[in-house]
Amino acid sequence: MKSTNTQTKKYGMVIDLDKCTGCGACMVACMAENNVPFKENESNKQDSITWLRVYKMDNGKPYPENDICYLPRPCMHCEGHAGHSPCVSVCPATATDYSTETGIVSQIYTRCFGCRYCMAACPYHVRYFNWWDPVWPEGMEKMLSPNVSVRTRGVVEKCSFCFHRYQLAMEKAHYEGREEIEEEEYQTACCQACPADAITFGDLYNPKHKVFELKQTPGAFRLLERLGTNPKVFYLTSRDWVRKQGDNYLKNEGQVIAKGGH
Amino acid sequence: MKIGRRCFLSFLIGGAAGTALTPLPWKLTDDLSIWTQTWPWTPVPPDGEINYVNSTCMLCSGGCGITVRKIDDRAVKIEGMKDHPVNNGGLCIMGLSGLQLLYGPRRVKEPMKRVGERGEGRWEKISWDAAIAELAQKLNTVRGSSPESVACITDESFGTVPHLFKRFMAAYGSPNLMITPTIQDSYEQTLKLMQGVDGIPGFDLENSKFVLSFGCGILEGWGSSSRMFQAHSRWTETGGKLVQVEPRLSVTAAKADKWVSLNPGTEAVLALGIAQVIIKDGLYNKDFVEKHCAGFEDWEGEDGKKYQGFKNFVLEAFTPDTVARLTGVSANMIQDLATNFVGAEKPIALAGRGKGYTPGSLHEFMAVHALNALVGNINQEGGVWTLDRPDYIGWGEPAQDPVAQKGNGTPRIDGAGTERYANTRSMVNTFAEAVNNGAAVEVLLVSGENPCYTLRGGEAVKKAFEKIPYIVSFSPYMDETAAGADLILPNHTYLERYQDVPAPFGLPIPIIGMTRPVVKPQCDSKHVGDTLILTAKKMGGSVRDAFGWENYEACLKETLGDLWGTLESDGFLVNADYTPPAWDMAFGDESKKFQFFNESYAHGNNKDIFSQLRIEGDPGAFPLILVPAESMRIASGPVADTPFVMKTIPDNVLKDKEIFVEVNPATAAAYGLRDGKSAALSTPAGRARVRVNLCEGIRPGMVAMATGLGRSANSRYIANKGVNFNDLIRPVPDPISGLDSAWGIRAKLERA
Amino acid sequence: MSAIEEKKAKTDSGAGFILLFFILGLVSSLLTGWVAFPKLLYSQKSQPFDFNHAIHLDMVDGCESCHFFREDGTYAGVPKLAQCIDCHEEVQGGTEDEAIFVEEYVANYREVPWLIYSEQPDCVFFSHAAHVKSGGMDCVTCHGNIGTSTSLKPYEENRITGYSRDIWGKNIAGIKKNTWDRMKMDDCAACHRENGVKQNSVQTHKGACFVCHK
Repeated sequence: MKSTNTQTKKYGMVIDLDKCTGCGACMVACMAENNVPFKENESNKQDSITWLRVYKMDNGKPYPENDICYLPRPCMHCEGHAGHSPCVSVCPATATDYSTETGIVSQIYTRCFGCRYCMAACPYHVRYFNWWDPVWPEGMEKMLSPNVSVRTRGVVEKCSFCFHRYQLAMEKAHYEGREEIEEEEYQTACCQACPADAITFGDLYNPKHKVFELKQTPGAFRLLERLGTNPKVFYLTSRDWVRKQGDNYLKNEGQVIAKGGH
Repeated sequence: MKIGRRCFLSFLIGGAAGTALTPLPWKLTDDLSIWTQTWPWTPVPPDGEINYVNSTCMLCSGGCGITVRKIDDRAVKIEGMKDHPVNNGGLCIMGLSGLQLLYGPRRVKEPMKRVGERGEGRWEKISWDAAIAELAQKLNTVRGSSPESVACITDESFGTVPHLFKRFMAAYGSPNLMITPTIQDSYEQTLKLMQGVDGIPGFDLENSKFVLSFGCGILEGWGSSSRMFQAHSRWTETGGKLVQVEPRLSVTAAKADKWVSLNPGTEAVLALGIAQVIIKDGLYNKDFVEKHCAGFEDWEGEDGKKYQGFKNFVLEAFTPDTVARLTGVSANMIQDLATNFVGAEKPIALAGRGKGYTPGSLHEFMAVHALNALVGNINQEGGVWTLDRPDYIGWGEPAQDPVAQKGNGTPRIDGAGTERYANTRSMVNTFAEAVNNGAAVEVLLVSGENPCYTLRGGEAVKKAFEKIPYIVSFSPYMDETAAGADLILPNHTYLERYQDVPAPFGLPIPIIGMTRPVVKPQCDSKHVGDTLILTAKKMGGSVRDAFGWENYEACLKETLGDLWGTLESDGFLVNADYTPPAWDMAFGDESKKFQFFNESYAHGNNKDIFSQLRIEGDPGAFPLILVPAESMRIASGPVADTPFVMKTIPDNVLKDKEIFVEVNPATAAAYGLRDGKSAALSTPAGRARVRVNLCEGIRPGMVAMATGLGRSANSRYIANKGVNFNDLIRPVPDPISGLDSAWGIRAKLERA
Repeated sequence: MSAIEEKKAKTDSGAGFILLFFILGLVSSLLTGWVAFPKLLYSQKSQPFDFNHAIHLDMVDGCESCHFFREDGTYAGVPKLAQCIDCHEEVQGGTEDEAIFVEEYVANYREVPWLIYSEQPDCVFFSHAAHVKSGGMDCVTCHGNIGTSTSLKPYEENRITGYSRDIWGKNIAGIKKNTWDRMKMDDCAACHRENGVKQNSVQTHKGACFVCHK
């Protein structure tokens, strides 16, 4: 048997918050793509499963200086140090893992036994626990995709960067005798659906991919960067207050640094 | 020797040792763990061949192209069609979840006849033959006495299905076909009055460099939402600017380069204030205004009377100080807006508030459109274009027997098309009032619409529908109107039927889309076109003669003729190279000029015509103003949110079954309201219990409430959550068009 | 005999008895585990009708004639009725099974509800293209010599998991002699490890989970 190891990749995302309108198309594209369950009351956001959640940020200023911004939050697929992302490090079941081939943090539902350590460890709240068995109203199970496993009660789930699309793209590449796939062959459902073209997805290592340049845009930032989680989702914004809310700062921190001459 | 305890223990130990030497424990553990990994009741989606079908979304009038992914014959996902001229691969939140309507629990599964009390939910399943026979008999009976007492409410203006309804009503003999008006109607009337053309508007927004929007929900579902999002993204890339004028920090306002808050209902005043600065400073496009416009300077009419032109009218009445006082926008800001607007490379001013479901004040549209004329961006790149109405339906008028002639000769019950509202096609907003005032409606046909939910007026609407003896719904879903109907003849959903979808609102190029059966019908439904044709045939006489087609598909193919091939293969037909007529050919009036003012609507230069909108209610009793808060995440038209979309509603908009209203903290403090607490909201139209969401993004003195909630008939995922905004507001007829112009209503919010 | 001796004698014969029970327990549990358990664990199901792979393989050009790749690289697996109809619109041979096929399925255009021996759980992603096209493996490595079989063996369904016995393997102890005897995760992993395929997990330094899971 020939071995088939492809080049090392690091898939990531760049989200332009100036373009994002908070319309929620990415959230629903994700739900429809990934067989995400729904229940009668989804207004308790702590048990409402949204692999990709759009947060509304507020600059906290009074009318009429008030401003808002929307921030889509998929799984950050943290690299941490050498792949030791917060969740992967604590999983006692090897249910979540970091692949050095793609840089994707996987979640294997059949392996997970629901201890939820990973949820406690994740600083981004990207992980959701299935408190109930998913129930589809009669007939609606027809729209379930066979490319993503349906989850059961008692397991944790999260965004996979639509990994099944990578699997399908690779499968086509194998069939055609290629070892690598093109940028457009593997795009996440949210990125594909975004009507504002705010989400860009690709290999952060590959200079030919759009994300390579975009992530180096001046002012590009990642969420809670100072925790050292080394996330793979970058954000662009022209608003300083948005960038500032992307991490935790002490009250007078900016001023102290300024005095120190930085 | 007896077998004792020790023997028993020994047997057990032997058994245990033996068991350990068999695969049983390991195999059993393995099998049990596999069993728990996918419970027998967990659905396992069957695998199959992936295939794609291109079609057109019909959940709103945006006309977006969709590509449906299927696994064998199951549709599993809807995506935006790549390279489609409207949405170019993007798709809105509702469009993406359309399969939840197709496979949803609230489909009407077969024709049904009411057996219990109205709205009680007790139905009898009947066959299609029986259902059509019943409808035909009912219509024939009514036709014998008063054909005009059959009314019909439908959604679209263009395309074969609305034309079939028009034809049916014409052959039957009733003028009372009501097509739900939107801002498209207001824009069409603006073009008629100011440009003298019978056309539809197109906005070349992709090329605009400065967009001055008077409350348009550009990022909340105005026109084809995906197209608007893409245009906005393009502005962020190319340095195009967006200025949003509205009293609430909507998404559009938040994403705009500048948010200008003003007193509610003073948009037209602000537009004229900006015009005043442009005129006063001589900044207008002189080439266009002097050569191609009329009514700008004062003139003497044929009747010998002196008329004040737009220029002097605006210069006198709309000085920055006056406008600042009325609108609450500072004089400096008005000056800035004017200089930035005229100074921009390709400026455009847009009217039509929110998603565009409320037609709005025609004066507001005209005041805003006057700004476009001042910068001469009519039919120019990045400006406002006119397009012809789709004209591929060449059926000719159906023959009318004497009964039909007599019926069609009676006045419309909604008052549209009368001398007062000559340019207005239909006024659904007056329907409930007309019925309550005694207009005879024996039978009401409803297709593509959900008036029991969308009509404004609360109790008055309910009362009117109770008075109508026979209501027929063609809805594929059990919506509020279907639930209160007497007979439901379910249409296929848009994923199960052929239908042409021409001319989406606001697109600057002519396009026809086609929706097609993506999957075979999931229920015992029938295309509404077929239902109409079969009913006509069953009725006989001249009504039958008007419908010679064998079925709807034959009608569609015959109508489209040569176009069918392209539509069948590509899913759409577009003239991407369309350019609008040049200025000397653009204006249809006798003068061949753009009319700032003319004798027919100058109304003797009544200064009030462009003044503030009337907001219903006594300010003493109702100190606040309630306005709608529209959102992409809550569908507020005939069709309700899907379960997926419900998941995206924030918990400070809807929590459990309670709806929140946005209130400025300063206002809340004045009325003793606290964040998250319950409050009683009342308006002249109705009252509701709400919770308070303190919000800095709303002008003090106002209350904003999400639209699209408070659906009484729907699945458990949606039904009975929140409050229907339409129950708290009443229509206010616009003085020129008669269409509903109410954006807000006076309100009172008290601690509960 | 002293009391002590008496007791000892009693114990002697008791010890034998206890040993006997130990052996009884041992033997019965061994029988249960090795003989009764497999019989109880699996229920036998028969296919809708018999199928002769050998006859078909003589007439077509290799396994891929019927078990083919689709253009998008996915694997079609067990043929659909539409493919069979190409040749079997009418009865070709003289077997009773073909008659059943034509009369019950072809005539009514009904898909044959084949029971699939190699059906994996829903959580598994298996790419035939990766193994056959890129890996250069042949069908026999995993599926055995099914191509030369003249009839279908009974389908044995695991009463607990619902999957075929072929996944765990015929041998209840899980011992395999041939590469195609088992199709468990460990078998996939072992082969991947031997060949150095995608050993890219940070947690285990072996194959990462998303290689074969979805």
